[in-house]
Amino acid sequence: MARDHAQVVIVGAGAAGSVFAAVLAEAGRDVRVLETGPVRRLEDFYSSQLWARRLKWAVPHVAETTRDPVWFNLNAGRGYGGAAAHHFAVWPRMHADDFKLRSTFGKGLDWPLDYADLQPWYDRVQDDVGIAGDAAAEVWRPPGAPYPLPPVPRFAQGEVLAKGFTASGLRVAPIPVAVLTRPYKGRPPCIWDGWCEAGCPTGALANPLATYLPRATAAGARLQPGCHVTRVLTDAGGRRATGVEYVDDKGSRRELGADVVVLAAFGVENVRILLNSAGERHPAGLANSSGTVGRYLTCHPSVFTFGLFDADLQNYMGLSGGQIISHEHWAKTGREGAFGSRQYEAAMALKPNDLLGIAMSRADLFHRDLERFMQRAARGLGQMVAVCEDMPLAENRIELDERRDAHGLRLARIHYRTSPDGLGLWREAVTEGERIMKAAGATEVWHGPKVAQHLMGGTIMGKDPAASVTDGYGRAHDVENLFIGGGGLFPTSSAVNSTYTIHALALRAASRLRDDQAALRTR
Amino acid sequence: MLNNLADFAKKASMAQDRRQFLVRAGCLLFTVGGARLWLTPAEARSRGADLQVLDAAQTRTLEAFGEILVPGAAEAGLAHFVDSQLAADPNDCLLVTRYFNIEPPYLPFYAGTLAGLESLSAERHQRAFAALGEAEAVALVRELGAGTPRGWSGPPAELGYLVIRSDAVDVVYGTVEGFRRLGVPYMPHILPPRPW
Repeated sequence: MARDHAQVVIVGAGAAGSVFAAVLAEAGRDVRVLETGPVRRLEDFYSSQLWARRLKWAVPHVAETTRDPVWFNLNAGRGYGGAAAHHFAVWPRMHADDFKLRSTFGKGLDWPLDYADLQPWYDRVQDDVGIAGDAAAEVWRPPGAPYPLPPVPRFAQGEVLAKGFTASGLRVAPIPVAVLTRPYKGRPPCIWDGWCEAGCPTGALANPLATYLPRATAAGARLQPGCHVTRVLTDAGGRRATGVEYVDDKGSRRELGADVVVLAAFGVENVRILLNSAGERHPAGLANSSGTVGRYLTCHPSVFTFGLFDADLQNYMGLSGGQIISHEHWAKTGREGAFGSRQYEAAMALKPNDLLGIAMSRADLFHRDLERFMQRAARGLGQMVAVCEDMPLAENRIELDERRDAHGLRLARIHYRTSPDGLGLWREAVTEGERIMKAAGATEVWHGPKVAQHLMGGTIMGKDPAASVTDGYGRAHDVENLFIGGGGLFPTSSAVNSTYTIHALALRAASRLRDDQAALRTR
Repeated sequence: MLNNLADFAKKASMAQDRRQFLVRAGCLLFTVGGARLWLTPAEARSRGADLQVLDAAQTRTLEAFGEILVPGAAEAGLAHFVDSQLAADPNDCLLVTRYFNIEPPYLPFYAGTLAGLESLSAERHQRAFAALGEAEAVALVRELGAGTPRGWSGPPAELGYLVIRSDAVDVVYGTVEGFRRLGVPYMPHILPPRPW
């Protein structure tokens, strides 16, 4: 078997992997990034909800043997940029209380770090990529540097729905987004045409192809597409990673030696690789002496609320992630039967088709009824979404299936059930969302089913090696030179979109790794 | 930072119309009378292009089903669109099916749904679905959408309804022509390879 070597091997070219690659390559490290999907370039991002589907996951299949689907394929990505290539770039910060659920409220888990530990890294990422927002209007915003860019513009839909929030006693702010509102560090501003999910080819939206991957490659990091990592290899003692085994784009099984291995292959694939790396020294899977690899999977139970308006809402303009945000009901306590926080995003740019499109908002309609609805909703449909926190439960998990992929490795399967708290928050959001839409003046109001956004957990960080997979930097407790990146590290979900925090954690860990010579000791 | 994006960004900002700084004009490859031609799904249908995966009976049912779900779907090339994507690598497949946790290959799902619909039509009306009157077909499809057809066999009826309805919406409304039909601007950065 052919064997090559790099100082740092990163598995996955998405949000976390691209940050690690940029920081370490710029520090002069020999960095190799193995990406299971294809090369993607900005000019590959066709403006079409159909073509957007190529950016999502398909195979190896991830089975969901669960009552509450987590919509893995929709949430995950494949190819350069990973899931962040199609993410909506809504980038709020987590709140201070999100990091200390167990010690403050006796619920869920604690993170091994505080907001204050992460704040400088939020600030640095914000400066790197450019975030647009209005810090003063976000009265709930935790401490941090002001946004470097002015907020997103508000089109008719945003104005109308904002009135509904205000009339309901909820303050709103311009949604904080990693989308440029003016030129920034060589990238052009957004033109508000709502094709975010299809991938932003102008570079206005902070997907890795526009932010950290160009830095990584400019500094010499080598990206290898079509390379499917099957196992992390270790030394005889099982305490150090020696590299990875992978199948290359020609189907050949290869090994790549490494001083440091970074798994940044989205939460589910990270778990699958660790569990498939079981060996004599770690029969339950690598980095799994605690038995928590795959456990505490979380997501955000969400509900989309819709309203039909007689006015022209210009609902085709703006961003897929919306124009306004509210954390007004953030307090985790004080609700009957539901613990946790909730976020509202509203006034998304809409397209006629796809899961989040106009036609799917009324999936019960077809034939002439659908035709009539489409004509009216094309300009008159307003939309908002409530993003609810869910409690981490050990039984919500990713595990190996008995079936195997094309390379003979066991597939992943997901078991997930929304916690009673998450369900309570969701139900409350259904009622409140419809009230807001009515207050905004909608003539018809309805809501969609419970959906899941933003997969987190599975390789959680924690202080206790007996109850978590990594430390606060994402370094595996069991394997001193194995790092993990991505939302899989989150012990709790908060109620904010996860990509900003993924970036901040990755930048913090990569900077530590860059400065820690011991971790990068030579062979 | 981002110096290597600068050229790209500069070209983009200098374009006369930044929404269309790069226009693709490709189509799909279909076989017509033994010749390989680049056609849109609608053109492929009108010219009788060969199908790669679906048989004639499945095609008839799919077009009739699609037409009841979203009028105009058959003419827009629903069958050729679905057929071309069923023949593709799952990772390149443009069908919404991939979002619904259906394990590829997707053909058994479509074949099962279409066969289930034909069985239901035969049981209720002793005719093929494509031969039903509009009111009969609408009533049958309504049962599928509600997930409750008595005597249904095949993949979950409601899922079949959702997926094929989405396919029909894709070809009718998810295109430049579809946006125009709704009176909203398409505003592409990069036009997709024909028209969907």
